[in-house]
Amino acid sequence: MIQFMNVTKTYTNGTTALNNINLEIKQGEFVAVIGLSGAGKSTLIRCINRIHDISSGTLLVDDVDVSKLKGKHIRKFRRRIGMIFQSFNLVTRTTVINNVLVSLVPGLPLWRKLTGIFQKEHKIIALEALDKVGILDKAFVRVDQLSGGQQQRVALARTLAQNPDIILADEPIASLDPVTARIVMDDFKKINKDMNISVIMNIHHVEIALEYADRIIGIRKGEVVFDGETSQVTQEILEDIYGGKWEAEKAAMEEQAAYVR
Amino acid sequence: MFDKLFPPKKIVLPGGKIVLQKRSRTPLVVLILAACTVLSAQFTGFSFPMLFKRIHEFFTIILKMIPPDWSSLSDIWSPLLDTIKMSLLGSIIGALIALPVAVAASSNIVQSRIIVILSKAVLSLLRTLPTLVSALIATFVFGLGSMAGTVAIMLFTISYVGKLVYEQIENVDMGAFEAMESLGMTRLEAFRFAVLPQVLPGYISTSLYCFEGNVRYAAILGLVGAGGIGLLINEGLGWRDYPAVGMIILVLIVTVYIIERISEHFRKKLI
Amino acid sequence: MNSIEQQLAAAPRNKLYLGTIAAIVAALFVWSMTAVNFNQIEQNSLKIAKNIVYGLTHPDTQLLFNVSKQSVLYLLLETVAIAFLGTIVGAVLAVPLAFLAASNIVPKPVSWLTRLLLIIIRTVPSLVYGLMLIRVTGPGAFAGVLTVGITSIGMLAKLYVDAIEELDTRVLESMTSVGCTTFEKIRFGIIPQLLSIFLSVMIYRFDMNMREASVLGLVSAGGIGAPLIFAMRSYKWDQVGSILIGLVVLILIIEFFSNKVRAKLVRG
Repeated sequence: MIQFMNVTKTYTNGTTALNNINLEIKQGEFVAVIGLSGAGKSTLIRCINRIHDISSGTLLVDDVDVSKLKGKHIRKFRRRIGMIFQSFNLVTRTTVINNVLVSLVPGLPLWRKLTGIFQKEHKIIALEALDKVGILDKAFVRVDQLSGGQQQRVALARTLAQNPDIILADEPIASLDPVTARIVMDDFKKINKDMNISVIMNIHHVEIALEYADRIIGIRKGEVVFDGETSQVTQEILEDIYGGKWEAEKAAMEEQAAYVR
Repeated sequence: MFDKLFPPKKIVLPGGKIVLQKRSRTPLVVLILAACTVLSAQFTGFSFPMLFKRIHEFFTIILKMIPPDWSSLSDIWSPLLDTIKMSLLGSIIGALIALPVAVAASSNIVQSRIIVILSKAVLSLLRTLPTLVSALIATFVFGLGSMAGTVAIMLFTISYVGKLVYEQIENVDMGAFEAMESLGMTRLEAFRFAVLPQVLPGYISTSLYCFEGNVRYAAILGLVGAGGIGLLINEGLGWRDYPAVGMIILVLIVTVYIIERISEHFRKKLI
Repeated sequence: MNSIEQQLAAAPRNKLYLGTIAAIVAALFVWSMTAVNFNQIEQNSLKIAKNIVYGLTHPDTQLLFNVSKQSVLYLLLETVAIAFLGTIVGAVLAVPLAFLAASNIVPKPVSWLTRLLLIIIRTVPSLVYGLMLIRVTGPGAFAGVLTVGITSIGMLAKLYVDAIEELDTRVLESMTSVGCTTFEKIRFGIIPQLLSIFLSVMIYRFDMNMREASVLGLVSAGGIGAPLIFAMRSYKWDQVGSILIGLVVLILIIEFFSNKVRAKLVRG
């Protein structure tokens, strides 16, 4: 369970990214965070695994106070939280399996860390993770030869191999075309339901968010303006989240979708 | 500044429109370069008459080198191998040291600004020092012989490989690094698995290229007593034994050519 | 055997290749160790090293700043002059060689022969040229200029050739269609394309020649090298310190400006 209690985040240059956030996310929920760019969605997600520090308030993950963690404990804590990025963030020069094996590195003895030689058991864990996202056959292909959708699934497999309780996803489908986007979203949904992993996702495509997520959190200017089940989201609420720019956003999205079709 | 001294030229088109053409800087640059050339020529005592009158001496020496003295070949092997060993050892050790130094000089990996600036300063200071000068200094510390040459080559390799590698590291895509930090790695581990795979081919290729150049450098280090074939060249020229010098140069050319070919083969594979 | 184990078995094996190369490198490393005699490091090495460091950090400021003919400033100026003029000499000599080596201008055998000549010119160590050229001009800066010039040819010509072989010939085609003569084509079609690249290469080489010129004193071909060596041979490390500091600062300044000018040239 993730609990935000009066969380505020101010950057060193003075801008307030998050303002007095109060949230509670239960284990196994599929949450989509929506809002305009710059509303603080990314900051919200990155505070959960302490890539960003919060300025005040309390952030608990399974009753652990995240902001009190230090050094080794942060890294141990992060092991339990997977993260997916818009630009995949893979090492493109090396093979798919090497990218997945990376998530097993923190538990290895030093000589294996230095040489990068992995045990058979670890390779099997990595291959199983690849199997779960359906790209087992690409295991020994170099990442730069894969399509965007395949690369994002490699990133998903990397996260799965880490066996996390929570997956944070920062715009995971923003660089993908609508068709691949749906395949990747299906993977997320499957992982969420089958393995009871919480998914907290920043997403720009409201339509897709409404279709896949159990719960929607709307953010505007660093504040939570909507928090509720997907079925409760109405046109007015979207207008509110997007501050009157909803029509323009929607038109832009439809245009993009039409272009691909 | 320049535009104030020489205001742009106004061109009035027949239609009445005015176009401003900036004055070309070429004449000024040419003037400065010409002045520098003349001054340098006076300073260094450059004289064409002397050059034309005596340049044949240069070619006489070259002609005396042909044919080379094949009988001196047996004396060349050992110093030649020493030269190769010096450059090999200096290059390997230098390249190995260069990697951590390059990491320390990369502002995107190391967070402490002081360490970054200090490492960069050390690298650029080392780079300004001519190899021959560091070899000379090394002969005082390590005594005459190939140890001094090896140290000089090592220092040069550190500075050269170090600079090119930190430039590469700073241009690397940091996304993977962020991902690895988010899955619980230390910065060092994240470097090993996210950045190193990206820069490793470049690092090896740079080191190989540096090694090629080092073989050439190593050949002259003997002139300051730092071991290798340079000593023989110096002696040969001193005794005016030009056929022997010709032989050394021939052997050197063949050696450098072979090493370049091998190194090029591997560098092409890395891309 | 399920599909995962199948995939595992299908892993490409390049361990043998990498292992062989690692073994060869390790063997070469051990072999090259035989050239170095570690017990040469004598007892007083450390003392000498300490003296050197002390001298370098306590330079002879008098030598550094006075204005006689033995001062560091004067000698540095001479070194710059040698490097500058040498670069010009090398740049001029390299142009015809570069055109003769460009495979898109001359027939293959000619280009191949010129390239061979360039390799030979490049491989002969600079100090060898220096020693040969003092026989022509006598000791002094003049020999230094010629040495730097000849040493520069190899690299300059190689980089010129790259520029020539990448020439955009479509411009020439359009010029032919306008009715230009060969001379006009060279003047307005080729030179503008090459000039800025050639200049950039020259500045880069000038930068390197500063280092080259500073050691020519070893063979008494002028520049700051000779006093540097005299100071070393007589263990006057404070003088060595002042000379090296002057040299390093000068080279850094020149490098800074040459990088700026080259960046400007590339941007046009």
